[in-house]
Formats: sequence, C-alpha cells, structure tokens
Amino acid sequence: MLELKNIHLFIEGKPILKNLSMNFENGKRYVILGNNGTGKSTVANLIMGIERYKPQKGMILLDGKDITQLGIYERAKLGITISFQESVRFEGITTFDYLTLGGKVKSSYEETKKILKLSGLNEEYLKRQVDESLSGGERKRIELASVLMLNARYVILDEPDSGIDMMSLDTISEIINTLNSNGTTTITITHREEVLQNSDYAYLMCAGMILNQGSPEKMSEYYKHLCDRCDHPNEILESIERR
Amino acid sequence: MDIIAPNYSKEFEKLAEAYEKSGGDTSKLLDKRVASIIISGNKIIGLNSVDGVKIESGSQEKGVWAKIKILKGKKIDMPIHLCTGFLGKEGEQRVNFDFVVEDGASVKFISHCSFPWSTKLTHKMVATVQIGKNASMIYEDEHFHSEAGGITLISDTHAVVDDGGEYKNSFELTKTRVGTLKVRVDVDLKKNAVAELESKIRGKKNDEIAIIESLGLNGRGARGIAKSTVVATDETHARIVNEAFGNAPYSKGHIECNEITKGEKVDVSTLPVLKVTNDLAELTHEASIGRVNSKQLNTLMAKGMSEDEATEFIIKGILK
Repeated sequence: MLELKNIHLFIEGKPILKNLSMNFENGKRYVILGNNGTGKSTVANLIMGIERYKPQKGMILLDGKDITQLGIYERAKLGITISFQESVRFEGITTFDYLTLGGKVKSSYEETKKILKLSGLNEEYLKRQVDESLSGGERKRIELASVLMLNARYVILDEPDSGIDMMSLDTISEIINTLNSNGTTTITITHREEVLQNSDYAYLMCAGMILNQGSPEKMSEYYKHLCDRCDHPNEILESIERR
Repeated sequence: MDIIAPNYSKEFEKLAEAYEKSGGDTSKLLDKRVASIIISGNKIIGLNSVDGVKIESGSQEKGVWAKIKILKGKKIDMPIHLCTGFLGKEGEQRVNFDFVVEDGASVKFISHCSFPWSTKLTHKMVATVQIGKNASMIYEDEHFHSEAGGITLISDTHAVVDDGGEYKNSFELTKTRVGTLKVRVDVDLKKNAVAELESKIRGKKNDEIAIIESLGLNGRGARGIAKSTVVATDETHARIVNEAFGNAPYSKGHIECNEITKGEKVDVSTLPVLKVTNDLAELTHEASIGRVNSKQLNTLMAKGMSEDEATEFIIKGILK
C-alpha cells in the first residue's frame, strides 16, 4: 500500500498542501478530482519524488517503508511511475526507442506496436521522432503508452486527456483497465467528473486539502453539487483546516 | 584499372578498418560507379572518378591536395566519398581541397576522417568551395579520432555560393574524443543563395573546442542557417561563435547555438553575432547553455532510468 500521511508542502514559503493524507491500496483504481489549481498535480509530483515537491512535514510510506526522502529514480525502481500532464519533446529519439528506453525495457516491435495502438496511435509512429514534428496530443498518447510498457505497481496519470482533443473517456478507461488488469494501482488526476465512473475510490481536492473522499458515486454527487460552481466558500475550507 | 593504387592494398585494408569504425561504408570506396579519393598520410592511395566529375590531385609537403570539379549542369547521383586517414601514431597531415560546382550542377560529398591510432597528430584542412549559379553541394564530414586526446584538428573552409545556389555543410565529431579542434567555416552568399551550416560535437575529458561559423548574406534574398550543438562533459573547454551578417535587402539569417554541459569543470561560452548593414535584412538567433533539460530527465527517471542513463539517452538523441 502507498500512503501519504499528514503531508505539508510549502513552495517558496507558500503552503501548497495542508495536512494531506491519502491511502492507495494495491490493485485499485483511484481518482483525485478537483478544479484547476487545487493541488492535484502537486500530489502527483510529490508521490513521484520530484525535487521541489519534497514535503516539509509528513511521510510517504510504501508497504510501510518510509520513502519520503527517496528521489524519482529510486521510487521508479520501487514500481512507481507517472505519465506527466505535460509531455516533453525528445530530439533525435524515435517513439520505439522512447517506449523501450533505448532497449532497457525488453519489448519486441510487435508488442510495442500493440501497446501504442491502445493509446490510439498506429505503427508508423514507432519510427517517428518524439520531437516538435508531433503535436502535443500525439506526444501525450505516446506518454500514456510509455507507462503501459513498464508493468509498474503504481501508475499516476496526470490529466491523461489534457491536450488530446479526440481522446475519449473510453480510451482513458481502456488504458486504466489494461493497467488494472495487470494488478497495477492507478491514480488518475483529473478535473473531469466523468472519469469517476471507472474508479474504485476518489479523493476530492480543494485548496491543497482533501475536501471529501469516498465512493465514486458519492464523490460525483458531491462534486456536481458543490464544486461545479465552486467559489471556494471560506466556511468549507475553514472547516477542513480545523479537522 | 583498380581504384587502389598498386602496392597500397595493405595500407588500404588498415585504412578501411578505421573508415568502417568511423561509420563509413568501405564498399563504396571500391565501387567504380562512385567517385572517391582515399588519402593515407601524405599519399593518395586510391582515386576514382565518374562522368561529370573532374579530379586533379597530388602530394604536397606533409600532405595532399585535390581539385574536384563538378561540370556544368551535371547531377552526380551517387555521393562522392572522401576518405582521409593517418595510420601512424605521430605526425602532421595537411589536406587542401578546392571544390568547384559549376552552374546548374549538383553533388553530395561524404567525408570520413579517421585517426583512431594516432596519439599526437595535427591534421590541417583548408578548403575553398565555389558553387555556381543554381548549383548545389552537400558536404557531410564525420571525424573519428583516437581516445588518447592527442589529435589537433584545424579546419578552415571558405565558400562562395553564387546566385540561386545551395550549400549544406555538416561536421560531426561525436563518437570519440575530440582532442583539440579549431573549425572555421565562412560562406559568402550571393543573390537568392542558400546555406545551411551545422556542427555536432561531443567533448570529453580535457578536450578543447573552438568553432566559428559565419554567414555573409551579401546578395538580395540570400538565406542561411548556422547551427551548432556541443555537448561538453568533464573538463571540456568550448568556444562557439556563430555569426550572421545581413548585408543585402530581404536576406534572412538564423543562428542557433545549443550547448549542453555536464561536469563541474566544463567551461563553455557561446557568442552569437548578428550584424545588419541593410535595414531590409532580417536576422534571428537562439542560444542556450546548460545542463540537460530537467523535465526530460524527470520523465525518463520516472520510467526507471538513472540520472546518468537518462542524460546519456538524451545526449545521444540530440547528437543524432
């Protein structure tokens, strides 16, 4: 199990995450839902161990072991990975090389082609370079395929549909289900309430805190009722902070 | 008549080994449909010409000279191969090339310079390039040096591209140590002429790199790009100057310097120089020096690559 315990994160002196606790059990599908700027991607970066997202207070535990101070590579070796919200360009590197990490990931051409197809791209992309000749949406699909290649224990999908015009909810669900069928725990970061339909548990975030958590049905109702037209009512935030 | 001169077959074998190491295809050097010049030390040990190509060559003190002319209107289908090697451990090699591409002709040169066994060698290359009206020339030059770091390479190319002509020059030294490198390429572009200069170099240990690429946009509508990519690791010193001079109306120039550093003792500077003497000229530049992009690193490390593996992976891509 992956646990975030009473996390406090400050960046440049500003409180970004406030006393945040989350649990991610093995093999389940989680969603972290919230409007823009509520701290969802910060949680993703924190779990992955990105340098400036190390908490000042609190702990991150994996199977009971403290991994709070471990870096990205060490966490990746323990089976945690991420598809970042913004997919970067890699000049001179083909999609096939990128997906197989230059041979580090053992996968045949045929297997790689199948995985790429799951994210909606055909074979011809394997030979293309992951550079500015591809659109942001195409690179995002390659990024999603890349996490499918890894057989990771925990996969964070940060806004999997961002920048992809035609990416349907069905495609995202298929990717999540493929990961899940291999025993992977998925943590999907999103502001789309519909993504809840394909999950087991959801955290609803607001202003760097957990506003609510529970079943997808309950969170969907709560989100529609309160967050769709959110103006961050102070009394709600104050009540969370008092918890 | 054989391409390899009599009595040089053993020397050619050794040179071919070095040539293959540098990425060259030896079979092309022995193909009579392909024009080629094979230089070992201060001798031309192999020579082949094809229709439309006129080659004169000879020896000079510590080296060789060659005048290669592509005749008017001739399109040379298969690239001309230039193979330059030095089999000894120490010495000096001087190579002078004069390239003339007459009006309407087109040609591509693939040049490999291999010095894999030399521990102390100075290789000096001086080239003049004349590209005629609406003619085109591509020159791809790849170097393969020894790991001893004792190679000093001094290369000086001066090109004149006449109206509507095109010139592409690329220089690559990424697979081995550099040693000491001083490269200068300057191009004089006439009306509507186009030039593209590109260099990719990877420095290791205490390599010394100095590059000057210069675009003279002297004719109306002339266009040019000068691009350098240098990866400086360990204690490499690198000085890169990319210049563009907009001297004619509607001329356009772009210079791009992309320098990547890795190591606490690297010392890298890049200097873009843009000068306009005609207010209808347009010059732009991009320059960056620094470590490998952190977002790229994070992305790869999150997939299980160590920082060193990720850096190497990114650098190899950039230098491809």
